[in-house]
Amino acid sequence: MELSVPRPWTPESERQVYANALEQVILADELGFDYVWAVEHHFLEEYSHCSAPDLFLTACAMQTKRIRVGHGIIPCVPQYQSPIRVAERAAVLDILSGGRLELGTGRSATWTELGGFGADPDETKKTWDEFVRVIPKMWMQDRFSWEGRSFSMPERAILPKPIQKPHPPMWVAVTSPGTELDAADRGLGCLGLQPGGFSESEKKVNSYRARIENCDPIGAFVNNKVNTVNFLSCSEDGDLARRSGLKIASMFSYMASQLLSAKEVLPTHSYPSAGLLPALRRESGSPGDAAKSFKGVTMGTPDDVAAAVRAWEAVGFDGINFIHQFMEIVPQQYVLDSMRLFAEEVMPQFKQGVTREPVTAGVN
Amino acid sequence: MPLAGSLDIRALLEDAPTVTITDREEVIEDVDILQVLYEIGFADLESLVPPALNPTIPPVIAFLAYRAKDSLWGPFSLVQVRLTARAGVRPRAFLISACCDNPVAAEALTRSWGYRIRPADIHLRRFHDRVDCSVVAERQTILDLSLVDPQPITGHDVQYPPGMHLARIADSSGTKPRLIQVDSEYEFRRADRGRPELASFDPSAWGNKRMVPTNPVSASFAACKVTISAIRYICNPDIPSSEGTENMGAPAAP
Repeated sequence: MELSVPRPWTPESERQVYANALEQVILADELGFDYVWAVEHHFLEEYSHCSAPDLFLTACAMQTKRIRVGHGIIPCVPQYQSPIRVAERAAVLDILSGGRLELGTGRSATWTELGGFGADPDETKKTWDEFVRVIPKMWMQDRFSWEGRSFSMPERAILPKPIQKPHPPMWVAVTSPGTELDAADRGLGCLGLQPGGFSESEKKVNSYRARIENCDPIGAFVNNKVNTVNFLSCSEDGDLARRSGLKIASMFSYMASQLLSAKEVLPTHSYPSAGLLPALRRESGSPGDAAKSFKGVTMGTPDDVAAAVRAWEAVGFDGINFIHQFMEIVPQQYVLDSMRLFAEEVMPQFKQGVTREPVTAGVN
Repeated sequence: MPLAGSLDIRALLEDAPTVTITDREEVIEDVDILQVLYEIGFADLESLVPPALNPTIPPVIAFLAYRAKDSLWGPFSLVQVRLTARAGVRPRAFLISACCDNPVAAEALTRSWGYRIRPADIHLRRFHDRVDCSVVAERQTILDLSLVDPQPITGHDVQYPPGMHLARIADSSGTKPRLIQVDSEYEFRRADRGRPELASFDPSAWGNKRMVPTNPVSASFAACKVTISAIRYICNPDIPSSEGTENMGAPAAP
């Protein structure tokens, strides 16, 4: 869930975007989707008005029964929030959701956000590393103290503790090259955020799988799941599905390309690439540019979508985080119908008789 | 939809350069480059750039200073004031204006690539603890800035987006207003970054009094070979670049 709000936004249009997203989550829960992921972004006009994802996810949790609620992701930047607050708030969400929390971590990639908080882009990889090491300890230890790089604290009890034991699963967003290896070394799941081709993705997944075999987990267990991201648009009318899906994908790519990346304005080793922006710029020329599409898009008839999901499964992904909507570019009813059809026709093909983890179709 | 530019280009066109498109490119072997970036105020964000472009959020002003040790036109210094923008999905920098201390170089840059240049005394000096740049025009200091505490980095870390220069393009039917995309290639010998300091800046002297720097972003210094490429794309400044871009025989996409 990006919770993007088209300009000119009003209190009512923001409320409606949140209401639509909640309606999608409630339906996703009923239909058997496995996850809902909410981003955390700040100051990104139109692109994302989701600055307090724990509140949104709490609302999701209180209106659903089984869908897992995921931070996708929390920026581990001390100027945004202390790791103490991350651990506390995540634990509360885990309690209120009845043990359904997934904690994705990351570090932000835009100057708009990092500069807005006065954060140093050179430090974000280091602070992310410190955050992910201490958060599981804060959850598991009765009392915790720390002398570190980005924060220190005397011994205190960090409360409450999450329901899930030993602690909720942890993930990291993977956009910069090599972050999948950082994830593997630490025993963290991969939230792939960058669209890519099959062979390129397969290499990354294989590298991750090989590396995580010998990881030194930062928590009490290894989360070895790898999810990718895709755009879902499913209809019996394949042309309508592709048209609608490409509208979502093109708008997402166009709006993402407007963001001012940290790499663009600050010479830094910390961001070897501009995150997902270069790939998106290659894919999109204008907001109406629906001529190109990512390889393996999950758009079309149920058969088309199933074939695409199967292809990504063959690459080695455990799940797909679907983007259903962006900037309210397609009608809410279309999104709900697309989800229903996917759940009726496609999901059963992957929910039954699987030997590995099921394909996890969350909403994003 | 992202904000689109709304700058009225009519006033700017009165003294815009007239350019005849050729396949000219220029290689300048030994250039020192200082780039200092600051955020500027959001007021009237859209009116900073023409409709072909989208302003970035936040808007960022780039001071880009070249000191060429030698060139076809002899040694010269050139300081550009640019604003970060997007042409469709691509990062670009809209040229507000520039100053140059070599009339021959200024003439060539204006005629071939549409640099909007006024004469000035320019001093770009590199020390071990800082790099300073000052621009004096008509006995007034219109820019004085520095990079402080340089630290080595690689050239791969430095980015200079292509410029978008408002000019009149001359052809057989007369002239037409266009934004010229000015691409340059850089071969870095060294690069540093440091803390930006802005001691003095007169935005009116550079052509837009609303460009008031606020939040410092970055400063970099590089020594490199610069190739100013032949013009590959121009676009109509009054409509979105995705609709108004013309390919001038470009060998490859930007």
